[in-house]
Amino acid sequence: MIWVASIFLISGGLLLVVAAWGVIVLPDALARQHSATKAGTFALAMVCIGAMFFGQSVEWTWRLLLMVGFLMATLPVASHVLARAAVREGGLLDLVDQAPLIGDDPAVGAGKAD
Amino acid sequence: MMAVAVWTLVMGSLVAVALSTLRIVRGPTYADRIVALDILLAAAIALCVAASVYTARTVYLDVAIGLALVGFVATIGWARLVEKGAES
Repeated sequence: MIWVASIFLISGGLLLVVAAWGVIVLPDALARQHSATKAGTFALAMVCIGAMFFGQSVEWTWRLLLMVGFLMATLPVASHVLARAAVREGGLLDLVDQAPLIGDDPAVGAGKAD
Repeated sequence: MMAVAVWTLVMGSLVAVALSTLRIVRGPTYADRIVALDILLAAAIALCVAASVYTARTVYLDVAIGLALVGFVATIGWARLVEKGAES
């Protein structure tokens, strides 16, 4: 079990580096928030699973499960709010409004995104 | 083996902190800086879990839970602030 915990902890740390590297190399703010939120949360989930295999008791497991559950629950909201801030600040709102949706008439579907 | 794993986790978190600090200094827009703050928060939570594994105590896990709660509210608040600043 120590080996499984070590593998999870090491892969979580490496995945955190990958997430931070994505924040550096990706071209614009939308792609950067994608890397930071998804890969960062997945790295934290790996770290928490490794700590669960290390602790192997109730008081470790419920704390880590609470943390993973909270991170997974707040990931979509944080990602959406960050993307919206990036769009509003970068002046990409016209680009988003003009983007055609699947099954939509592009000329009609240009509503205000809020 | 456990010491190697904790060492790798701490070093990975420190590299992530360095890279996101670079993005905070360089980032052209404020949204980039908030995204880098999100990575800083993830590195802080990972360091808390590493501390609790290293000392075999659950106290640091409570700190990590608190950080996750506060960091989410901070991300939402900063993003709203940037959004309002961009509108006005």
